[in-house]
Amino acid sequence: MAHYFKSVLTVLAARGLQAIIVAVIVGIVSFAMMQALPGDAAFRIAAGRYGYDMMDAAAAEAVRLELGLDAPWFVQLWGWLGQLAQFDLGNSLVYGTPVVDEIATQLGYSLLLAGGAIVASLMIALPMGVATGLNPDSLLDRICMGLSVFLRAVPAFALGVVLVLVFAVQLKLFPVAGFRGIENLILPSFTLGIGLAAVSNRVVRDAVVDAMNSDWQLFARTKGLSARLTLARHVLRNAALPVVTYVGVQLAYLIEGVVIVETVFAWPGIGHALVHAIFGRDIAMVQGTALTLGLLYVALNLCVDLACRGIDPRERAV
Amino acid sequence: MQQTNTIPSTHAQTKQTKQPLAKVLGFALVAGLAIAAIGGPGLIGVDPAKQSLLATLSPPSLAHPLGTDHLGRDMAARLLSGAQLSLSLALLSVLTAGLPGTILGVTSAWFGGWTDRILGAFADAVLAMPGLLLVLMLAAIAPGSWWTLYAGISLTLWVEYFRYTRQRARIVLADPSVEASRLLGLGPLLLVRRHLIPEIGPGLLTIAAFGAATAVTAVAALGFVNVGVRPPTAEWGVMMTELLPYWREAPFLILQPVACLVITVLALHLSVGGLRRS
Amino acid sequence: MLKSLSVAAAIALTAAAAPAFAETRSSVTIASPWEVASYDPAVAGFTIQKLQIMENLVDADATGALRPGLATKWTASEDGLTWEFTLREGVRFHDGSAFDAEAAVLALTRAWGQPGLLKKAPITDIAAQDGKVVVTLETPFTALPAFMAHATTIIPAPAAFDAEGKPVALIGTGPFAVSAFTPPQSISLLRNEAYWGEKAKLETATYLAAGRAETRALLAESGDADIVFTLDAAGYSHLSHVDTIETSAVPIPRVVALKVNSGHPFFNDPKARQALSLAIPRDGIARAITRFPEAAADQLFPPALNRWHSATIEPLQTDLEAAKTLLADLGWVPGDDGILTRDGERFAITLRTFPDRPELPLIATALQDQWREIGIELEVSVASYSEIPAGHQDGSLHVALYARNYGLTPDPIGSVLQDFGPGGGDWGAMGWENQKVVDALKVIASTSDQELRQTNIDTVANLLQQELPVIPVVWYQHTVSIDKNLEGVIIDPLQRSYGLSEMYWAKD
Repeated sequence: MAHYFKSVLTVLAARGLQAIIVAVIVGIVSFAMMQALPGDAAFRIAAGRYGYDMMDAAAAEAVRLELGLDAPWFVQLWGWLGQLAQFDLGNSLVYGTPVVDEIATQLGYSLLLAGGAIVASLMIALPMGVATGLNPDSLLDRICMGLSVFLRAVPAFALGVVLVLVFAVQLKLFPVAGFRGIENLILPSFTLGIGLAAVSNRVVRDAVVDAMNSDWQLFARTKGLSARLTLARHVLRNAALPVVTYVGVQLAYLIEGVVIVETVFAWPGIGHALVHAIFGRDIAMVQGTALTLGLLYVALNLCVDLACRGIDPRERAV
Repeated sequence: MQQTNTIPSTHAQTKQTKQPLAKVLGFALVAGLAIAAIGGPGLIGVDPAKQSLLATLSPPSLAHPLGTDHLGRDMAARLLSGAQLSLSLALLSVLTAGLPGTILGVTSAWFGGWTDRILGAFADAVLAMPGLLLVLMLAAIAPGSWWTLYAGISLTLWVEYFRYTRQRARIVLADPSVEASRLLGLGPLLLVRRHLIPEIGPGLLTIAAFGAATAVTAVAALGFVNVGVRPPTAEWGVMMTELLPYWREAPFLILQPVACLVITVLALHLSVGGLRRS
Repeated sequence: MLKSLSVAAAIALTAAAAPAFAETRSSVTIASPWEVASYDPAVAGFTIQKLQIMENLVDADATGALRPGLATKWTASEDGLTWEFTLREGVRFHDGSAFDAEAAVLALTRAWGQPGLLKKAPITDIAAQDGKVVVTLETPFTALPAFMAHATTIIPAPAAFDAEGKPVALIGTGPFAVSAFTPPQSISLLRNEAYWGEKAKLETATYLAAGRAETRALLAESGDADIVFTLDAAGYSHLSHVDTIETSAVPIPRVVALKVNSGHPFFNDPKARQALSLAIPRDGIARAITRFPEAAADQLFPPALNRWHSATIEPLQTDLEAAKTLLADLGWVPGDDGILTRDGERFAITLRTFPDRPELPLIATALQDQWREIGIELEVSVASYSEIPAGHQDGSLHVALYARNYGLTPDPIGSVLQDFGPGGGDWGAMGWENQKVVDALKVIASTSDQELRQTNIDTVANLLQQELPVIPVVWYQHTVSIDKNLEGVIIDPLQRSYGLSEMYWAKD
């Protein structure tokens, strides 16, 4: 047990270090890229603020003056780093509200959505993967393969509107969009989850096939354990490891997938906010959001690491 | 830190029975797609940009075998024109993401220690940087340019190859038979050819097949947030976004680019399955 | 960091746990594409005004005629340089504080200091005097009351600003108060029981910003949203066949227009601009893309602007052969690839447009195809709309396609003056100035003699039609879907209000 805790501490330390590195890299890279973008930032910010009916060159000049966009880049970067050291992400250049406030609201909704998506994807991928993994090359396996390819090739927005049409408009089971209650979470979660499951059900399948072919599985069977018990005790446990790790890999894609789903379902999430911030050249928002997403990724991977160590004792020695 | 088999292990595949039919079908489809991509709209001699605002969203007819889109353009010509762009995008992004990803993965597994740690940390850092941010920024640097779209997509895809290769190669290299060859002083090239490629190649090809789909749907996703190529360029992903508003009136239109992509991935998949056993 | 994370989670959970609205039929859900993420009237004023959270000194009816708002009357001095707004008595903000001249002056002074409409008026001072708001001008400006009806001149409570004068809350005087705000997607409203005018019939309302037209159409079809604004052409066609809802399209004073750089050697002759205009397939665009065939814009000002729209003006035509002839007269000769050349220069130009209005890139693509027929190679660049004013400023713009709203204020003179006044405007003429137009606009802006005003308006409209510094393409319709049981819905062509306070549910 003490050994387990020691390994947990190592993981925590490694991920903590990673978090700091990520914060610095993400901050500097996003700052540098925002600086490298063509076009006049004052014009973009004014566009983001005032809309095409009210935005003009005069508005852009007023924005330039107000935000001190003429300052050299290193003064701006230094200002941001200085603020960051005091845990201050500054104010949104477009909306004028504190970046922390915006992120605080939107991150909560995005996490809810991401969590829902992972649950949905596991609900689909696990049964599908185990069933096909136990019967490789059967008709079922091939149908699932074809289905996976199809779902992988359908863009998330198209999947989203079809799900809404069927489950919200025709069957009236769930609301179309918005975020009034937990029932609003179902359709966006499944839109994202189906896309994830299209790949992860194959991962589950292969993990199960591998586990079924392994020597210890044969050994367990020969020593007289029933097929069902072997499945529960050995195969699934061993198959779980790659699946959990794959969820970790998917997280990075998930964070991007949410952008589309948030837009389709009018969900006030952080991905959607990031896209708007990039278009509006809202440097403070972009940096704040990128930083949050980066740290979130590190944190979620930490959870994955710990889960792996919980599942597989061998991992603890690493 | 992270270890697993992401995508299918060879173990899982070797059990498969022979499927000569699937293999033939796969190669036939790949050949068909290649012809479509090389020939483009010239194959049917119709201009993919020619509009007819008085004949929009029309169902398939003799004049337009696949119907017309929302500006009255011939769908067949646009799909063929899209094949050129989409398939080269898929191929290029698979190559530019796959080669460095694989080489770095093998390097990492081969040397282990600090090389491994540094490369692993680097890959983790890239993944932690929101890929969307990278792609959107690159796209914003040269708006409407196909090349920046492709570069951005490719940049976010390589990590998957890296992770898979690193972790499979580690297992392969730790195998007693490989260890023995190493001790015998066999050169790295020979080891790679004799042990690594047969072990990790098939899995990589599977990743590549799905990666091709990822590249095209990424273009669609970008189009959805209004980042994309300049009109009137036809590209499958762009077409999916363009045709979305008409999904109720003319669902057969948006299904066409999706079907093309399904066929592409399926073709790659089947022929990869074929390669694996040959 | 951790703290804000847990706060976020808590917020998310309470939001998730809140029960869905019971169907008491005293509440509506309204969906529209515009997101709200700011408390600032200069940024979010349009939505705040439409939701009747805050009000203006001056109000307007659906025809654009001004009527009292928070001010009961307004008068100009003899010389037209001083305007007095007499304020309504006994009005309270949602927080219970009293509305008075100081509050109005605070709000208007801030609006005047921000980029926005008031900056365009020749104002020298805004002050409170004997309980009235007094605005002094540099030159006479008859459109000032109309400016006071604009979305950026709504009056927030003094408590809506923090110590530094930054807006931090949505507190107004309107018939609805804000009960919850989740930027950028949603605002929940509660009836203002202490409203000075007729109280709203509904108790609550929810505003949902759904950026995608597909989502809005589905919200309407499922009944999740009772009123949906700004439908896309395809969604509108589809919804008109759904029997639980009614669809309605109201012509609005917004026009899709093509800005041409008249200073560019290709376009400095009015004939060149006429040729471009002749090669715009207005009918096809109005039929196939925006799907309101009667809205093909044969003049700049749409019928919704009844004073500015002219029934007698000669309409713009589409005629490719005539366009070719005009270009040939200007010395353009088709090259081997069919593209025109003159003095070794190809007629290859770039059109700038933006995707925020989904029809714009489609119209641009239609122009690209048509213009190729007359030998013009058009590259379409779809990017941020700020590229248009930026290109105007640095002179790099060739042509730009955008949607211009001439109904921002009940009287369009402000916008017209900006667009076609001296030196042209970011969203209007470029490299083009016509002294007759400038003089006529000056008269329109300062006279209160209606007949004189109309004569000058006609002069401006006619000159714009001949010179085409900006080429009209199609006019807009404001498209709405409404639940059949919802009564009292008034669609405001000036888009100043969603009319929430007038709505009520029919008894079953």
